[in-house]
Amino acid sequence: MVPLSLTKSGEKVVVRSICGTGHLAKTLGQLGIIIGIELTIIQKAKESVIVRIGESRYALGAGAASMVLVEPRK
Amino acid sequence: MKDIRILFAGNPNVGKTTLFNSICGVHQHTGNYPGVTVEIKTGKRQINGHSIIVSDLPGTYSLSAFTPDEQVARDALLSSGPDVVIQIIDATNIERNLFLTTQLMEIGLPMVIALNMCDLADEQGMTIDADCLERNLKIPVVRIVARKGEGVEELIKTIIQVSTHKTPAVHRAVEYPHSVTSHISEIGNYLSAHASLLGSLSPHYAAIRLMEGDEHLEKMLHEKGCTIPFIDTTDPAERDGIAEDILLARYKISEEITTCSVQCSMGRVMPGDLIDQVLTHRLFGIPIFLSCMWFAFQLTFSASNPFIVGIEYIFGYFTELMNSVDMDPLIRSFLSDGVIGGVGSVLVFVPSIFVMFLLLSILEDTGYLARAAFVMDRLMHSVGLHGRSFIPFLIGFGCNVPAIMATRTLQSRADRIITIITIPFMSCAARLPVYVLFAGVFFGAAAGNVIFFLYVLGIVVAILSALIFRRLVFKDEPSPFIMELPPYRKPSGFAAAVHMWFKGREYLKRAGLVIFGGVIVVWALATLPAGVEYGSADSLVGIIGQVFQPVFAPLGFNWQLVVGLIFGFIAKEVVVGSLGTLYGGEEMLESSLAADPTLHPIIALAYMVFVLLYLPCVAALGVIRQEMGTWKWTGIAIGWGIFVAYVFAFIIVHVGSLFIGA
Repeated sequence: MVPLSLTKSGEKVVVRSICGTGHLAKTLGQLGIIIGIELTIIQKAKESVIVRIGESRYALGAGAASMVLVEPRK
Repeated sequence: MKDIRILFAGNPNVGKTTLFNSICGVHQHTGNYPGVTVEIKTGKRQINGHSIIVSDLPGTYSLSAFTPDEQVARDALLSSGPDVVIQIIDATNIERNLFLTTQLMEIGLPMVIALNMCDLADEQGMTIDADCLERNLKIPVVRIVARKGEGVEELIKTIIQVSTHKTPAVHRAVEYPHSVTSHISEIGNYLSAHASLLGSLSPHYAAIRLMEGDEHLEKMLHEKGCTIPFIDTTDPAERDGIAEDILLARYKISEEITTCSVQCSMGRVMPGDLIDQVLTHRLFGIPIFLSCMWFAFQLTFSASNPFIVGIEYIFGYFTELMNSVDMDPLIRSFLSDGVIGGVGSVLVFVPSIFVMFLLLSILEDTGYLARAAFVMDRLMHSVGLHGRSFIPFLIGFGCNVPAIMATRTLQSRADRIITIITIPFMSCAARLPVYVLFAGVFFGAAAGNVIFFLYVLGIVVAILSALIFRRLVFKDEPSPFIMELPPYRKPSGFAAAVHMWFKGREYLKRAGLVIFGGVIVVWALATLPAGVEYGSADSLVGIIGQVFQPVFAPLGFNWQLVVGLIFGFIAKEVVVGSLGTLYGGEEMLESSLAADPTLHPIIALAYMVFVLLYLPCVAALGVIRQEMGTWKWTGIAIGWGIFVAYVFAFIIVHVGSLFIGA
């Protein structure tokens, strides 16, 4: 498992864990970034990422990206 | 027939405002990025004897309400008791939108779903079975294309029909696991005994909200002395677990319904990934953004130039015409010094402002703004600002008022306060006339560079201010950056032109009322007391200017410039307007400024910098007060602006004079 902030552009990953609770975890939850969901990394700029889930694209800053733990999709 | 009150709810950027405009025949601002609407807009439409009152809510992903704009939407949905709630759903992204549906349908209000952007879904090869959606949700579904007005009449018919139903609305229920339902009934039973505290919420629904972590409701019940079963007796980790079960149940039902009602053709293309990879590139992202800005800046001036020449010609013609007609000297002075001199000096800049609004509107419609926010996030974060603040900053170049309102999309109060303090340093369109005038007179061919320098200086001061306030006052990190990136859409030239026209018209109206009024006051003060030489040091305006002039003496401003600053508080255009009346009108303004022995380029530069930084106009001040919520922070924002303006102007005058040896 690695944080989203350490993935590479173009990778397809599955969310395994979301660190912490509170507003950030809830905000991610409302956007559909939940455990078990598949993400495609569209862009990686330093530790910030743009991910795609189905039809939606989200930008996550370094802080948010480091809280989402993922592993490569098999 | 009674009024039908309806609410437009939905995720951000699904076309709520477009539909609102289409139904109510108005022109509220729309754009292709999340968070354009931050307050409730209400409109009315008469149809078949029914009076439909529509309220357009800010977009929200859920009813959890973490930001002020989401709170506005939540409060309207939960406590205003509308007759029908219309959820607008983006047909190209049904599954994600249904998450909100699962929350809305639990409120128990009559609902209609407007499936918007059906044309785009078709283009992308999606087949949507609206009947299946309707059966599964037990909510009427109407296909629409709000942008083209398609399906809108049918939607209105459905709304009227639903509003006349006598029986309470029963929608599809979310199937929660047993672990959740047992607690729901436990809390629900307790709340039934305290139903009076809940207002229009049903105990069952309130129980679900509490389990999902509705802090607002929980706090309210605690203040009323309630001890809520489960909520108050369980440790936070277990509560989070339950909240997650609820979340998953919502996603499960959204997925099920989407799977049975939406079919995608195999070769469905996902446009935009490649564009995103280029525009948000780690190395190219910022240069691409800066080139866009530079290009927009150049275009603002070159495209508007022919129109400016035209307007100047017309005013020149009027001045000549007036000089050739015999009239009372007081009326002549009113017309030439007041009307043409003051208002004319401002109107000359209208074309530039139109072009700027056109470009901003195109930029907003493409979907690039959200990408720019991503590109700038790291930079913004390093100076203590939130990446999302970048969108209000860009809007601030048009006008600070909507920019300050747009800070409602920020979650943390510290982020909002810092952003509001720094927005007035974004040089709005109203300040442009001052630069064009002074840079043109005192810097000749270098005028363009000087103006560009002023815009950059505004940004630099904003960054410095953010750093200072973040480090010294708030001492915490900006909250994490998460933002949806809207799909790219081809901007419609027509829509952008319409938008420019409405914005420009507002500007013209302002020029007509506020600016004209301000300028007339200056003219009257320059004429009184009777018999005094117009605009001289003995006139009222001269006396006012001279009273305050000593404060500005270290900056080298003469009393006329000081009068401009004082009246510029009404609106920044009035700075030019009042100088126009004091320096002999639109025709003469430039040459008289150039000839004034008390002025030289260094002072002109200091003056432009002072106007850039010193004080927001009355309108912006009102919004700052409204959004800050306290006079304390409003005062700090204003005091900081004046302080910074004075310091920078002082440095420019004194460092500058070393070079020119004055």
